[in-house]
Amino acid sequence: MKIFRNPDVMWREETEHKQQALKALADGGEAEEIGASILFLNGTMLTLNLLGTEIWSRCDAIDPDRLVADLSEIFDVDTETLKADVMDFLGELQEKGFIRYEQ
Amino acid sequence: MSNDWLPEAPLIINFALTNKCNFKCKHCYSRNDPDDELDTAGARLCVESLKEAGVLSLNFGGGEPLLRKDLLEIAALAAGLGMTVSMNSNGFRLDRETARTLKTAGFSKVGISLDSPQAEVHDGFRGVPGSFERASNALGYLNEADIGTSISSVICRINYREIEGLIGLARKTKAGQLNFHNFKCTGLGYANKSELDLTPEEWKEFYKAALEARKNTHDLNISLDDPIISSLGESRAGSLVKGSVCGKLSLNIKTNGDITPCGFIPLVIGNILKDDLHQLWASSPVLERLRNKKPTGKCASCSNYEDCLGGCTARALALTGDINSPDPHCWK
Ligand code: SF4
Repeated sequence: MKIFRNPDVMWREETEHKQQALKALADGGEAEEIGASILFLNGTMLTLNLLGTEIWSRCDAIDPDRLVADLSEIFDVDTETLKADVMDFLGELQEKGFIRYEQ
Repeated sequence: MSNDWLPEAPLIINFALTNKCNFKCKHCYSRNDPDDELDTAGARLCVESLKEAGVLSLNFGGGEPLLRKDLLEIAALAAGLGMTVSMNSNGFRLDRETARTLKTAGFSKVGISLDSPQAEVHDGFRGVPGSFERASNALGYLNEADIGTSISSVICRINYREIEGLIGLARKTKAGQLNFHNFKCTGLGYANKSELDLTPEEWKEFYKAALEARKNTHDLNISLDDPIISSLGESRAGSLVKGSVCGKLSLNIKTNGDITPCGFIPLVIGNILKDDLHQLWASSPVLERLRNKKPTGKCASCSNYEDCLGGCTARALALTGDINSPDPHCWK
Protein backbone atom coordinates (compact mmCIF):
# COMPACT_ATOMS: atom_id res chain seq x y z
CA MET A 1 0.00 0.00 0.00
CA LYS A 2 1.25 3.45 -0.87
CA ILE A 3 0.34 6.83 0.58
CA PHE A 4 -1.16 9.53 -1.65
CA ARG A 5 -1.98 13.13 -0.81
CA ASN A 6 -5.55 14.18 -1.42
CA PRO A 7 -5.14 16.42 -4.51
CA ASP A 8 -7.74 18.84 -3.11
CA VAL A 9 -5.51 19.79 -0.17
CA MET A 10 -3.96 23.25 -0.45
CA TRP A 11 -0.70 23.57 1.40
CA ARG A 12 2.11 25.94 1.99
CA GLU A 13 5.46 25.68 3.67
CA GLU A 14 6.07 28.53 6.06
CA THR A 15 9.67 29.21 5.11
CA GLU A 16 10.59 31.55 7.95
CA HIS A 17 8.95 29.35 10.57
CA LYS A 18 10.67 26.31 9.12
CA GLN A 19 14.06 28.02 9.34
CA GLN A 20 13.27 28.96 12.92
CA ALA A 21 12.46 25.30 13.71
CA LEU A 22 15.66 24.07 12.05
CA LYS A 23 17.69 26.60 14.00
CA ALA A 24 16.02 25.59 17.27
CA LEU A 25 16.92 21.95 16.60
CA ALA A 26 20.47 22.82 15.60
CA ASP A 27 20.84 24.74 18.87
CA GLY A 28 19.66 21.68 20.79
CA GLY A 29 16.23 23.20 21.55
CA GLU A 30 12.62 22.15 20.94
CA ALA A 31 10.84 22.70 17.63
CA GLU A 32 7.74 20.60 18.15
CA GLU A 33 5.45 23.59 18.67
CA ILE A 34 6.62 25.57 15.64
CA GLY A 35 4.24 25.37 12.68
CA ALA A 36 6.46 24.82 9.65
CA SER A 37 3.65 24.33 7.13
CA ILE A 38 -0.07 24.62 6.84
CA LEU A 39 -2.65 22.39 5.17
CA PHE A 40 -6.10 23.48 4.17
CA LEU A 41 -8.98 21.28 3.04
CA ASN A 42 -12.63 22.34 2.79
CA GLY A 43 -12.34 24.82 5.61
CA THR A 44 -10.27 22.53 7.85
CA MET A 45 -6.78 23.80 8.53
CA LEU A 46 -3.87 22.02 10.08
CA THR A 47 -0.46 23.33 11.05
CA LEU A 48 2.39 20.85 10.88
CA ASN A 49 5.65 20.95 12.77
CA LEU A 50 8.95 20.07 11.16
CA LEU A 51 8.46 16.31 11.35
CA GLY A 52 4.89 16.64 10.10
CA THR A 53 6.08 18.81 7.21
CA GLU A 54 8.78 16.34 6.21
CA ILE A 55 6.21 13.51 6.29
CA TRP A 56 3.61 15.46 4.34
CA SER A 57 5.99 16.59 1.63
CA ARG A 58 6.91 12.94 0.99
CA CYS A 59 3.33 11.62 0.83
CA ASP A 60 3.44 11.21 -2.90
CA ALA A 61 2.98 7.54 -3.80
CA ILE A 62 5.35 6.40 -1.08
CA ASP A 63 5.39 3.18 0.90
CA PRO A 64 5.17 3.78 4.72
CA ASP A 65 8.36 1.78 5.41
CA ARG A 66 10.23 3.73 2.78
CA LEU A 67 8.94 6.96 4.35
CA VAL A 68 10.21 5.95 7.81
CA ALA A 69 13.57 4.94 6.32
CA ASP A 70 13.88 8.33 4.58
CA LEU A 71 13.00 10.22 7.74
CA SER A 72 15.40 8.26 9.91
CA GLU A 73 18.18 9.78 7.83
CA ILE A 74 17.08 13.26 8.84
CA PHE A 75 15.84 12.86 12.41
CA ASP A 76 18.03 11.53 15.16
CA VAL A 77 15.38 9.28 16.77
CA ASP A 78 15.37 5.51 17.18
CA THR A 79 13.51 3.80 14.34
CA GLU A 80 10.78 2.22 16.50
CA THR A 81 9.82 5.55 18.09
CA LEU A 82 9.97 7.28 14.73
CA LYS A 83 7.81 4.62 13.10
CA ALA A 84 5.20 4.87 15.88
CA ASP A 85 5.09 8.68 15.57
CA VAL A 86 4.86 8.55 11.78
CA MET A 87 2.07 5.95 11.78
CA ASP A 88 0.10 7.94 14.39
CA PHE A 89 0.41 11.06 12.30
CA LEU A 90 -0.54 9.28 9.07
CA GLY A 91 -3.60 7.86 10.84
CA GLU A 92 -4.68 11.38 11.78
CA LEU A 93 -4.13 12.66 8.24
CA GLN A 94 -6.11 9.76 6.82
CA GLU A 95 -8.97 10.27 9.26
CA LYS A 96 -9.21 13.94 8.28
CA GLY A 97 -9.17 13.09 4.57
CA PHE A 98 -5.77 14.65 3.83
CA ILE A 99 -4.21 11.39 2.55
CA ARG A 100 -5.35 8.02 1.29
CA TYR A 101 -3.75 4.61 0.89
CA GLU A 102 -3.80 2.85 -2.46
CA GLN A 103 -2.19 -0.21 -4.06
CA MET B 1 0.77 23.88 17.84
CA SER B 2 0.82 27.03 19.92
CA ASN B 3 -2.20 29.33 19.73
CA ASP B 4 -0.28 32.47 18.92
CA TRP B 5 1.00 30.90 15.71
CA LEU B 6 0.57 33.26 12.81
CA PRO B 7 0.98 32.24 9.18
CA GLU B 8 3.56 34.17 7.17
CA ALA B 9 0.88 35.41 4.78
CA PRO B 10 -2.91 35.31 4.75
CA LEU B 11 -4.37 31.96 3.80
CA ILE B 12 -7.75 33.18 2.64
CA ILE B 13 -8.73 36.36 0.84
CA ASN B 14 -12.24 37.60 0.40
CA PHE B 15 -12.25 39.76 -2.72
CA ALA B 16 -15.24 42.05 -3.31
CA LEU B 17 -15.26 42.28 -7.10
CA THR B 18 -18.18 44.66 -7.25
CA ASN B 19 -20.54 46.54 -4.95
CA LYS B 20 -23.33 46.30 -7.54
CA CYS B 21 -26.17 44.01 -6.68
CA ASN B 22 -29.51 42.97 -8.10
CA PHE B 23 -30.90 42.54 -4.55
CA LYS B 24 -31.96 44.97 -1.83
CA CYS B 25 -30.98 43.11 1.33
CA LYS B 26 -31.82 44.76 4.62
CA HIS B 27 -28.45 43.95 6.19
CA CYS B 28 -26.18 44.74 3.21
CA TYR B 29 -22.76 46.16 4.11
CA SER B 30 -21.61 47.03 0.59
CA ARG B 31 -24.51 48.64 -1.29
CA ASN B 32 -23.73 52.12 0.00
CA ASP B 33 -19.98 51.76 -0.45
CA PRO B 34 -18.98 54.47 -2.98
CA ASP B 35 -15.59 52.94 -3.89
CA ASP B 36 -14.58 52.42 -7.52
CA GLU B 37 -14.08 48.98 -8.99
CA LEU B 38 -10.79 47.64 -10.30
CA ASP B 39 -10.96 47.01 -14.02
CA THR B 40 -10.10 43.60 -15.45
CA ALA B 41 -6.38 44.37 -15.69
CA GLY B 42 -6.37 45.60 -12.08
CA ALA B 43 -8.27 42.56 -10.84
CA ARG B 44 -5.85 40.27 -12.66
CA LEU B 45 -2.89 42.06 -11.10
CA CYS B 46 -4.55 41.69 -7.72
CA VAL B 47 -4.89 37.91 -8.19
CA GLU B 48 -1.26 37.64 -9.29
CA SER B 49 -0.09 39.56 -6.21
CA LEU B 50 -2.11 37.26 -3.98
CA LYS B 51 -0.51 34.22 -5.53
CA GLU B 52 2.92 35.72 -5.12
CA ALA B 53 2.23 36.35 -1.43
CA GLY B 54 1.29 32.68 -0.96
CA VAL B 55 -2.49 32.99 -0.57
CA LEU B 56 -4.15 29.57 -0.83
CA SER B 57 -7.80 30.37 -1.18
CA LEU B 58 -9.68 33.18 -2.92
CA ASN B 59 -13.35 33.82 -2.28
CA PHE B 60 -15.24 36.31 -4.42
CA GLY B 61 -17.88 38.41 -2.74
CA GLY B 62 -19.40 41.82 -3.07
CA GLY B 63 -22.02 42.85 -4.17
CA GLU B 64 -23.08 40.06 -6.48
CA PRO B 65 -19.97 38.64 -8.18
CA LEU B 66 -22.02 37.28 -11.09
CA LEU B 67 -22.68 40.88 -12.18
CA ARG B 68 -18.99 41.21 -13.10
CA LYS B 69 -18.67 40.29 -16.77
CA ASP B 70 -15.05 39.25 -16.29
CA LEU B 71 -15.71 37.01 -13.25
CA LEU B 72 -14.89 33.82 -15.16
CA GLU B 73 -11.66 35.26 -16.55
CA ILE B 74 -10.47 36.39 -13.12
CA ALA B 75 -11.52 33.13 -11.46
CA ALA B 76 -9.81 31.05 -14.15
CA LEU B 77 -6.62 33.01 -13.62
CA ALA B 78 -6.71 32.33 -9.86
CA ALA B 79 -7.53 28.64 -10.32
CA GLY B 80 -4.81 28.33 -12.96
CA LEU B 81 -2.32 29.77 -10.46
CA GLY B 82 -3.28 27.01 -8.05
CA MET B 83 -5.62 28.81 -5.66
CA THR B 84 -8.89 27.35 -4.42
CA VAL B 85 -11.63 29.53 -5.90
CA SER B 86 -15.04 30.06 -4.38
CA MET B 87 -17.72 32.73 -4.20
CA ASN B 88 -20.78 33.91 -2.31
CA SER B 89 -23.78 34.60 -4.52
CA ASN B 90 -27.46 35.29 -4.11
CA GLY B 91 -28.02 32.66 -6.80
CA PHE B 92 -30.55 34.70 -8.76
CA ARG B 93 -28.57 34.65 -12.01
CA LEU B 94 -27.13 31.21 -11.53
CA ASP B 95 -28.77 28.89 -14.05
CA ARG B 96 -27.64 25.49 -15.32
CA GLU B 97 -25.40 26.94 -18.04
CA THR B 98 -23.78 29.41 -15.61
CA ALA B 99 -23.04 26.57 -13.20
CA ARG B 100 -21.25 24.69 -15.98
CA THR B 101 -19.16 27.72 -16.92
CA LEU B 102 -18.25 28.28 -13.25
CA LYS B 103 -17.01 24.69 -13.09
CA THR B 104 -14.93 25.18 -16.23
CA ALA B 105 -13.46 28.38 -14.79
CA GLY B 106 -12.25 26.40 -11.77
CA PHE B 107 -14.74 27.21 -9.00
CA SER B 108 -14.58 24.51 -6.36
CA LYS B 109 -17.28 25.90 -4.09
CA VAL B 110 -20.16 28.37 -4.22
CA GLY B 111 -22.10 29.59 -1.20
CA ILE B 112 -25.70 30.61 -1.81
CA SER B 113 -27.53 33.01 0.51
CA LEU B 114 -30.73 31.54 1.89
CA ASP B 115 -32.04 33.00 5.13
CA SER B 116 -35.29 31.20 5.73
CA PRO B 117 -36.96 27.92 4.83
CA GLN B 118 -40.05 30.00 4.04
CA ALA B 119 -39.92 31.52 0.56
CA GLU B 120 -41.87 34.66 1.45
CA VAL B 121 -39.66 35.42 4.47
CA HIS B 122 -36.45 35.02 2.44
CA ASP B 123 -37.85 37.08 -0.46
CA GLY B 124 -38.94 39.85 1.93
CA PHE B 125 -35.52 39.97 3.60
CA ARG B 126 -33.65 40.01 0.29
CA GLY B 127 -36.10 42.43 -1.31
CA VAL B 128 -36.71 40.45 -4.52
CA PRO B 129 -39.75 38.24 -5.18
CA GLY B 130 -38.83 34.79 -6.48
CA SER B 131 -35.33 34.91 -5.00
CA PHE B 132 -35.93 31.87 -2.75
CA GLU B 133 -36.86 29.68 -5.67
CA ARG B 134 -33.99 30.91 -7.83
CA ALA B 135 -31.49 30.39 -4.99
CA SER B 136 -32.80 26.86 -4.29
CA ASN B 137 -32.59 25.99 -8.00
CA ALA B 138 -29.05 27.41 -8.15
CA LEU B 139 -27.96 24.89 -5.52
CA GLY B 140 -29.33 22.09 -7.71
CA TYR B 141 -27.47 23.36 -10.80
CA LEU B 142 -24.24 23.67 -8.83
CA ASN B 143 -24.62 20.12 -7.57
CA GLU B 144 -25.21 18.90 -11.13
CA ALA B 145 -22.06 20.71 -12.23
CA ASP B 146 -20.12 19.02 -9.41
CA ILE B 147 -19.29 22.25 -7.59
CA GLY B 148 -19.27 22.12 -3.78
CA THR B 149 -22.17 24.04 -2.24
CA SER B 150 -23.08 25.73 0.99
CA ILE B 151 -26.02 27.71 2.27
CA SER B 152 -25.17 30.96 4.03
CA SER B 153 -27.81 32.23 6.43
CA VAL B 154 -27.43 35.56 8.16
CA ILE B 155 -28.92 34.96 11.57
CA CYS B 156 -31.19 37.75 12.76
CA ARG B 157 -34.73 38.34 14.00
CA ILE B 158 -36.39 36.72 10.96
CA ASN B 159 -34.78 33.30 11.41
CA TYR B 160 -33.14 32.75 14.79
CA ARG B 161 -35.81 30.24 15.75
CA GLU B 162 -35.70 28.47 12.37
CA ILE B 163 -32.65 26.28 12.95
CA GLU B 164 -34.41 23.00 12.18
CA GLY B 165 -36.13 24.54 9.16
CA LEU B 166 -32.79 25.74 7.78
CA ILE B 167 -31.24 22.32 8.35
CA GLY B 168 -34.20 20.79 6.50
CA LEU B 169 -33.71 23.25 3.65
CA ALA B 170 -30.01 22.36 3.40
CA ARG B 171 -30.92 18.67 3.24
CA LYS B 172 -33.62 19.25 0.64
CA THR B 173 -31.32 21.29 -1.61
CA LYS B 174 -28.42 18.88 -0.96
CA ALA B 175 -26.14 21.70 0.18
CA GLY B 176 -22.80 20.39 1.44
CA GLN B 177 -22.62 22.83 4.34
CA LEU B 178 -24.83 25.19 6.31
CA ASN B 179 -23.19 28.39 7.55
CA PHE B 180 -24.85 30.36 10.30
CA HIS B 181 -23.34 33.83 9.97
CA ASN B 182 -23.65 36.17 12.90
CA PHE B 183 -25.39 39.44 12.16
CA LYS B 184 -23.01 42.41 11.80
CA CYS B 185 -24.04 46.00 12.36
CA THR B 186 -22.18 47.40 9.35
CA GLY B 187 -23.67 49.35 6.43
CA LEU B 188 -27.43 48.77 6.25
CA GLY B 189 -27.01 46.24 9.06
CA TYR B 190 -26.29 49.23 11.29
CA ALA B 191 -29.21 51.28 9.96
CA ASN B 192 -31.62 48.34 10.41
CA LYS B 193 -30.13 47.11 13.66
CA SER B 194 -33.18 47.71 15.83
CA GLU B 195 -35.36 45.74 13.42
CA LEU B 196 -32.97 42.85 12.81
CA ASP B 197 -30.48 42.37 15.63
CA LEU B 198 -31.21 40.16 18.65
CA THR B 199 -30.70 40.91 22.30
CA PRO B 200 -27.74 39.19 24.00
CA GLU B 201 -30.17 36.76 25.68
CA GLU B 202 -31.69 35.89 22.32
CA TRP B 203 -28.22 35.28 20.88
CA LYS B 204 -27.54 32.94 23.77
CA GLU B 205 -30.79 31.08 23.07
CA PHE B 206 -29.91 30.81 19.37
CA TYR B 207 -26.36 29.57 19.93
CA LYS B 208 -27.39 27.01 22.53
CA ALA B 209 -29.96 25.59 20.14
CA ALA B 210 -27.58 25.77 17.15
CA LEU B 211 -24.79 23.95 19.02
CA GLU B 212 -27.25 21.27 20.11
CA ALA B 213 -28.51 20.90 16.54
CA ARG B 214 -24.95 20.65 15.27
CA LYS B 215 -24.18 17.93 17.79
CA ASN B 216 -27.20 15.94 16.66
CA THR B 217 -26.75 16.43 12.93
CA HIS B 218 -24.47 13.90 11.31
CA ASP B 219 -25.32 14.21 7.63
CA LEU B 220 -24.56 17.92 7.24
CA ASN B 221 -21.66 20.15 8.15
CA ILE B 222 -22.95 23.09 10.22
CA SER B 223 -20.58 26.00 10.67
CA LEU B 224 -20.84 28.70 13.35
CA ASP B 225 -18.27 31.46 12.94
CA ASP B 226 -18.81 33.40 16.16
CA PRO B 227 -16.06 33.46 18.81
CA ILE B 228 -18.55 34.14 21.63
CA ILE B 229 -19.78 30.55 21.48
CA SER B 230 -16.70 29.65 23.51
CA SER B 231 -18.58 30.94 26.55
CA LEU B 232 -21.08 28.09 26.08
CA GLY B 233 -18.31 25.56 26.65
CA GLU B 234 -17.60 25.19 22.95
CA SER B 235 -13.86 24.58 22.73
CA ARG B 236 -13.42 25.66 19.05
CA ALA B 237 -10.60 23.13 19.08
CA GLY B 238 -10.65 22.86 15.29
CA SER B 239 -9.91 26.55 14.93
CA LEU B 240 -6.31 27.52 14.33
CA VAL B 241 -6.61 30.84 16.11
CA LYS B 242 -8.47 32.25 19.07
CA GLY B 243 -11.12 34.94 18.73
CA SER B 244 -11.90 36.36 15.28
CA VAL B 245 -9.94 35.00 12.31
CA CYS B 246 -9.80 38.42 10.59
CA GLY B 247 -6.25 39.63 10.20
CA LYS B 248 -4.91 36.33 11.57
CA LEU B 249 -5.79 33.90 8.79
CA SER B 250 -7.70 36.05 6.34
CA LEU B 251 -8.04 39.52 4.86
CA ASN B 252 -10.57 41.36 2.74
CA ILE B 253 -9.96 43.24 -0.50
CA LYS B 254 -12.44 45.93 -1.42
CA THR B 255 -13.59 46.71 -4.96
CA ASN B 256 -10.89 49.38 -5.39
CA GLY B 257 -8.09 47.14 -4.11
CA ASP B 258 -8.02 48.56 -0.58
CA ILE B 259 -7.21 45.92 2.01
CA THR B 260 -9.15 45.64 5.28
CA PRO B 261 -8.98 42.97 8.01
CA CYS B 262 -12.48 41.80 7.05
CA GLY B 263 -15.44 43.05 5.05
CA PHE B 264 -17.07 44.40 8.21
CA ILE B 265 -14.08 46.29 9.60
CA PRO B 266 -13.62 49.51 7.63
CA LEU B 267 -9.98 50.06 8.60
CA VAL B 268 -7.87 50.23 5.44
CA ILE B 269 -4.36 48.84 5.94
CA GLY B 270 -3.10 49.35 2.38
CA ASN B 271 -3.91 48.68 -1.26
CA ILE B 272 -3.16 45.46 -3.11
CA LEU B 273 -1.93 47.29 -6.23
CA LYS B 274 0.28 49.75 -4.37
CA ASP B 275 1.59 47.91 -1.33
CA ASP B 276 3.47 44.71 -0.62
CA LEU B 277 0.98 42.31 0.94
CA HIS B 278 3.65 40.34 2.72
CA GLN B 279 4.99 43.44 4.37
CA LEU B 280 1.54 44.72 5.34
CA TRP B 281 0.72 41.36 6.88
CA ALA B 282 3.89 41.43 8.93
CA SER B 283 3.91 45.06 10.02
CA SER B 284 0.49 46.74 9.75
CA PRO B 285 -0.23 48.51 13.06
CA VAL B 286 -3.96 47.82 12.60
CA LEU B 287 -3.37 44.08 12.25
CA GLU B 288 -1.00 44.22 15.19
CA ARG B 289 -3.78 45.66 17.35
CA LEU B 290 -6.32 43.09 16.15
CA ARG B 291 -3.93 40.26 16.94
CA ASN B 292 -3.15 41.60 20.39
CA LYS B 293 -6.47 42.73 21.77
CA LYS B 294 -6.61 43.86 25.38
CA PRO B 295 -9.53 42.82 27.57
CA THR B 296 -11.66 45.70 28.78
CA GLY B 297 -14.90 45.92 30.80
CA LYS B 298 -16.45 42.55 31.61
CA CYS B 299 -13.90 40.74 29.39
CA ALA B 300 -11.16 41.66 31.89
CA SER B 301 -12.53 39.20 34.45
CA CYS B 302 -14.07 36.67 32.05
CA SER B 303 -12.81 33.09 32.28
CA ASN B 304 -13.47 32.60 28.54
CA TYR B 305 -11.32 35.48 27.37
CA GLU B 306 -8.44 33.25 26.33
CA ASP B 307 -10.67 31.53 23.74
CA CYS B 308 -13.12 34.29 22.91
CA LEU B 309 -10.79 37.30 22.92
CA GLY B 310 -13.74 39.63 23.36
CA GLY B 311 -15.81 38.10 20.55
CA CYS B 312 -16.40 39.64 17.14
CA THR B 313 -14.06 42.59 16.66
CA ALA B 314 -16.15 44.06 13.82
CA ARG B 315 -19.21 44.29 16.04
CA ALA B 316 -17.30 45.81 18.94
CA LEU B 317 -15.79 48.43 16.64
CA ALA B 318 -19.09 49.25 14.87
CA LEU B 319 -21.07 49.76 18.07
CA THR B 320 -18.49 51.12 20.51
CA GLY B 321 -15.69 52.50 18.34
CA ASP B 322 -13.15 50.36 20.23
CA ILE B 323 -11.89 46.98 19.02
CA ASN B 324 -11.12 46.02 22.62
CA SER B 325 -14.67 46.50 23.90
CA PRO B 326 -16.66 43.37 24.74
CA ASP B 327 -18.73 42.07 21.84
CA PRO B 328 -22.15 43.77 22.14
CA HIS B 329 -23.79 40.37 21.49
CA CYS B 330 -22.19 38.86 24.58
CA TRP B 331 -24.69 37.72 27.23
CA LYS B 332 -22.23 37.26 30.07
S1 SF4 C 1 -17.17 38.76 28.47
FE1 SF4 C 1 -15.80 39.18 26.74
S2 SF4 C 1 -14.41 37.40 26.69
FE2 SF4 C 1 -16.17 36.83 27.98
S3 SF4 C 1 -17.56 35.77 26.57
FE3 SF4 C 1 -18.16 37.95 26.63
S4 SF4 C 1 -17.08 38.92 24.91
FE4 SF4 C 1 -16.11 36.91 25.29
